[in-house]
Amino acid sequence: MIEIKNLIKTFGRGQAEVKALDGVSLEIEKGEFVGIMGPSGSGKTTLLHLLGLLDDPSSGTIRIDGIDVCRLTDWERTMFRLYKLGYVFQDYALVPELTVKENICLPAMLRRDREEKEYTAATRDILHSIGLWERRDHLQSELSGGQQQRVAIARAIVNTPDILFADEPCANLDTENSRMVLELFRKINRERGQTIVMVSHEDWHTEYFDRVVRLKDGKLVNGAAQAAAEPKAAALKENAMGNPLNYSGMGIGIEADGS
Amino acid sequence: MAQKELKVAFFLAWRSLVRGNRSSVLLNILIIGMVFTNMMFFPSLMAGIGVDIKDQIVSYQTSNIMIGPASGEQYITDIETTLAKINRLPGVERATPHYQTGATLQSRGRLIPATIGAIQPREEQYVSPLHTTMIAGSYLGESDVGEAIIGVSLAGSPNIREEDEVRPSLGGVRVGDSIQVEYPNGVEKEYRLKGIFQTGNFEMDNRMIVSWEDMQDVVGEPLTFAPYITVRVKPGYSESFVKNEILRYGVREQVQTTDDLLNKEIGRVMASFSIIGFISMIVSLVIAVVVLFIVVMVKTINNRRQIGILKAIGVEQSVIMNSYGFQVVLLSIAGILVGFLFTGLIVLYMTYYPMVTPEFSATPYVTPLDLAVNGIILFLASVISGYLPAWKVSRENIRQVLQA
Repeated sequence: MIEIKNLIKTFGRGQAEVKALDGVSLEIEKGEFVGIMGPSGSGKTTLLHLLGLLDDPSSGTIRIDGIDVCRLTDWERTMFRLYKLGYVFQDYALVPELTVKENICLPAMLRRDREEKEYTAATRDILHSIGLWERRDHLQSELSGGQQQRVAIARAIVNTPDILFADEPCANLDTENSRMVLELFRKINRERGQTIVMVSHEDWHTEYFDRVVRLKDGKLVNGAAQAAAEPKAAALKENAMGNPLNYSGMGIGIEADGS
Repeated sequence: MAQKELKVAFFLAWRSLVRGNRSSVLLNILIIGMVFTNMMFFPSLMAGIGVDIKDQIVSYQTSNIMIGPASGEQYITDIETTLAKINRLPGVERATPHYQTGATLQSRGRLIPATIGAIQPREEQYVSPLHTTMIAGSYLGESDVGEAIIGVSLAGSPNIREEDEVRPSLGGVRVGDSIQVEYPNGVEKEYRLKGIFQTGNFEMDNRMIVSWEDMQDVVGEPLTFAPYITVRVKPGYSESFVKNEILRYGVREQVQTTDDLLNKEIGRVMASFSIIGFISMIVSLVIAVVVLFIVVMVKTINNRRQIGILKAIGVEQSVIMNSYGFQVVLLSIAGILVGFLFTGLIVLYMTYYPMVTPEFSATPYVTPLDLAVNGIILFLASVISGYLPAWKVSRENIRQVLQA
């Protein structure tokens, strides 16, 4: 599903140049719950940003479902993120002026292939499944940290993305809430066959991951391929996944080679 | 941009305004409202002064059309025939002659020069509202002889010492007082003051008015001539139409509409007023653009991370930009409406308490067209100044704005 080859990302120039990622190659299969771990400054978030099309690599290739995403235009990348990817941020990143329900359905409102009825129903189902239906009309300021992160997760999955990225989603939570969030991720992963790539620096989180990819100084230390981890994807139903790059309703078509 | 994207942009904008920082929203609306008021106030006051001056001149000096003697002549002769001819023309309400001369007035121990005008009191009522401006005593009768009415400034006040007066007056004469008048032809005559008028027109309020019949006594012959005739135009007729009619029917005297006269006399003043008003409007507009630019810039900079998040979750740059654009649009509309209200209140206040000077009494002159034009200009300026920073921030690299 995700295939990274010799990914390099540098910041700055000349003597101030820093190599955040130094030749990382990695494969992630459909349905995997992959944890990216490593010490501070090891390049975890940079890798996640590159995988999530939030930044461009200095060199190397990223192929998602066979598409070279580095060759997409800005607008195609935006559409790719909207239709294929979901994000959960460390600080929840909810829109403070929107209610829980509005925050969740915001990405779905923009999809041209979804009617209001559909995303309203999807939002309702997700709210029930994360246990926040009763708080659907509350604002972010009226929620606890754990609740906010659950809303952020709900927002990330409302469009049934192919891949869910999470950047240290438990960093601001206590253990109890962290466990609740991780349980939610596990539930989504198992019930929906959701591919999840999560950055974490807590060792105890590894018990939730199918595979751990460790980085150090921008280099991959271990976990480059699924072979090293417990195989799981095969056990997941293929039809639980999103269709490979079906841009129906977007008015564009991207071929598997990215052209 | 599809309807769906615009809908989401508006949704985000509305929520941000309604559920965001209310004091900031109200402050922005107030700023735009004050800017609009500022844009309207000074130019409208200038226009109001212009309108008032014109109104005064039309009411008390020239009426709609003034007919002067033909070139090389001192008077319009045979006014009976001329008036009869003019009064028959379509669009003419009434034409009436005017005579004026300088004289020396003496009363209460004061001796001052003044202009004395002669009118046909009955006819004058159709041409000028002078008869409605009496503040003491009564208006002249057609055959009043030895009686006069004077302007409030010329009458003066008993409470102001002679040396303190800006323009000499008769020191507070009252109705019934007698005024000694010495005309340039040597005629001396005593008048009983019949009434005092207050027109608000500087020239008029410093005049003494007598009847046509009285002036005939002074001149010593029937007044069949006059230095000028004023013509009131019926409602619904244009001055230029009536002027052309007068010329077409063979009146050979100099015929000038108010606009002809104003262009000569106060055209430059009015042009200066327009320039001052225009400069004031431009300054206000620049202030509005700068303020809104800063407001939206600060807002977008504060929301940089949120903009990054929105982009990260797949919200298009144009949706983000339009959401800020819609906010500015809504703020501008609300601000302009508040500006309408402020302007209306100021106009209402100044209608009851106008700015009074010896030369004019001004109330802001605002037309629906002025409101619409200024509203549209401010709206466009606001939208542009609001969109620019939103466009700038929304096209930044996601990683950079996420780290903001």
